[in-house]
Amino acid sequence: MVKWTFGLALAVWLAVLATLKLGIQPPIPASVLMLYMVLVTIAILVFVAADETRFGHFVAPLRAVYEGRVPRPVQVAVLVALPALAGWGTWLRVAPNFDAPFEPRVVHPEPPSTFTFNGRTVDQLTLKNPLREGADAESLARHTAAGKTTYYRNCFFCHGDALGGDGHFALALRPIPANFRDVGTISMLQESYVFWRISTGGPGLPNGATPWHSAMPVWQNYLTEEEIWQVILYIYEGSGSTPRTWDEGTGGHDH
Amino acid sequence: MNSRVLALVACVLATLAVAPAAVAAPVRSEAVPPTPVAADEAAGKKVYERNCMQCHGAEGAGDGPAAEFVYPKPRDFRLGMYKIRTTLSGQLPTDHDLFKVVSQGIPGTSMPAWERYLSEEERWQAIHYIKRFDMLGLFEEEPPKERIVVGGAPKVTDELVARGKQVYQDAKCWQCHGQLGRGDGPSASGMTDDWDNPIRPVNFTKSWIFRGGSTLEDIYRTFTTGFNGTPMPSFAITVGEEDRWALAAYVKSLARERRTGQVVRAAYRDGPLPGDAWDAAWDEAEPLDVQLAGQIILEPRWFAPAHDAARVQALYNDREIAVMVSWDDGTHDEGQSGPPDQVALQLPLGTPPGTERPYFVLGDRKRPVDYWRWNAANGLQRAVYRGHDRAESREAEGVDARGAYREGQYRVVYRRALDVDPQQGRAFAAGDYVPLAVHLWDGQQGEEGMKMAISGWHYLLLQPPTPLSAWLWPAGVALLVCVGNFALLRRMRRRESGSATEEAAS
Repeated sequence: MVKWTFGLALAVWLAVLATLKLGIQPPIPASVLMLYMVLVTIAILVFVAADETRFGHFVAPLRAVYEGRVPRPVQVAVLVALPALAGWGTWLRVAPNFDAPFEPRVVHPEPPSTFTFNGRTVDQLTLKNPLREGADAESLARHTAAGKTTYYRNCFFCHGDALGGDGHFALALRPIPANFRDVGTISMLQESYVFWRISTGGPGLPNGATPWHSAMPVWQNYLTEEEIWQVILYIYEGSGSTPRTWDEGTGGHDH
Repeated sequence: MNSRVLALVACVLATLAVAPAAVAAPVRSEAVPPTPVAADEAAGKKVYERNCMQCHGAEGAGDGPAAEFVYPKPRDFRLGMYKIRTTLSGQLPTDHDLFKVVSQGIPGTSMPAWERYLSEEERWQAIHYIKRFDMLGLFEEEPPKERIVVGGAPKVTDELVARGKQVYQDAKCWQCHGQLGRGDGPSASGMTDDWDNPIRPVNFTKSWIFRGGSTLEDIYRTFTTGFNGTPMPSFAITVGEEDRWALAAYVKSLARERRTGQVVRAAYRDGPLPGDAWDAAWDEAEPLDVQLAGQIILEPRWFAPAHDAARVQALYNDREIAVMVSWDDGTHDEGQSGPPDQVALQLPLGTPPGTERPYFVLGDRKRPVDYWRWNAANGLQRAVYRGHDRAESREAEGVDARGAYREGQYRVVYRRALDVDPQQGRAFAAGDYVPLAVHLWDGQQGEEGMKMAISGWHYLLLQPPTPLSAWLWPAGVALLVCVGNFALLRRMRRRESGSATEEAAS
């Protein structure tokens, strides 16, 4: 066992690195990874240095290399590998990067209080889905079914057959089309917000949301108000999510 | 005689041509394994109506609301005719075949891989349910009992690929798929399937759109069993098993990698830029496959574009830049009958502040785009667009575009000086990221005007030569570690010899 102290330490270090790097989704930021690895390195060093015999065992393989008590090829390999590794690590840090520039983007920008729908002014604050408000189960099902048809004739090319944002046009678009199954999209939005985004599309994004590069068409050019509300019913139903609502009963002043 | 009959005749002739040389060995087959999940009509109906009906239709006729907007058309389940099977030509597929297609989807079509969204149980119920649409009830009466063996693939060697190349000639694959596999054979144009829907032979260089999959086994299976209901015949009888594997290996060797990304990196070239699109110098330029979508934003909307990608490469020197766009097209349309094939590069006209960019389809009122359109009939036409309805034609003013069509492929090379008057265009400088978008039209498919394939904004980067410091730092660090190594070595040795003398002294 003592013979392997150095190897074990190295294996633990590599195992932690591999777990942090590959085992966590979405990937953790490089700076956090760096911090963790520094801590792990220190922890391992403290552990081996805490006991003098253990430390002796730890450095034994290194001593063996430098004192020439290992076969010549091994010694040469280590002496070459160390500078090469250090050089390679430095190259990774200083090599010029020609990836696309980072473009910060407001994913759900603050909606305007009013917007124009085919010449009519719509008040965003009081807007409700007229097909959901007080609708019975039969009419809800009928409108949802109509919304499904509209979805598959207009939206699924980009937003996907299963509403996963992975339609057959999706690869051509950046930013990528919204994935309605993702809890970060429609399920954290009110239906009025979704209505605004569909009606005014990419060109309707407010100045505060620049740079907008959304490919979302302006759907009020193609769909009627009712069709848009129907599509909204369908994308919530089809993705198994529910629209966000403000709880009007409990205001902040009541308690 | 319509084109479908022609295609059939071509296939029959092709089959006859190889028949004398063919080994009439029976195709190796095995019993179809049992289906693991029994049918539950109610469960199947639920899955089907929720996930499948939108394309395949309420009655399974392939006529759902989305059907008219996609190419290829969704499957009509009523005739029991399926493309991707492990059973012989004309036969029904096995349950496992259907399950595989539902699970993994069909590449290059709008059929997604349902394994991402449906459980195994749901997928089995879906395939049980679609079998009910078969009008003749054949799935009930005589379900397939035997399937071909797709196993024992040989090791792919140069000899095997060379042999496959010969089979490709002998079996006349080139008649539809073209000599270089670009889907541009003499019979390629105007083909239809058994429903009279247009169908195009697959481009063998794009392995990511092989309908039946792109592994060696997949290609072997497709070639062996054919695609029912399409002009793609089965070669099970006419071509021996070894030759079929060789052909699969050859077809696989034609495939190239798809390189997606955001940045076209123009490589610096010391000396003149190549004037010819087929110049070997273009091999130095890293290619990017710019992905395309149908233009569905402005009227007339175009839902099923002919092209899915355009390959863009760029080179620059101290004076000018050359950008090459290349794409495969089965037909060379120069505009004599119908619209010509076209390509356009779109760049911002000036330099909008920050990360602002013009609207990605033909710019907007505030941010115009410089539009370099080349068509196979009359070459370059330059224009400035401030939105799709505000075009202003411009003189070429230093922009040059030359294109040619050779062996099923277009290559168009645009050239321009790096520096221009800011009123006339966007200047290029090493290290700058210049937004770039590509539009593409296939005249044969009726594409013209706004009926086109479009890309989002990408970037064109004139990649600066790597600075000296980027090399010096790693070299310096490596040297330092080297010095440390030797210092340690010497110290250890000295200590060792020191202790040795001590020992000797005591």
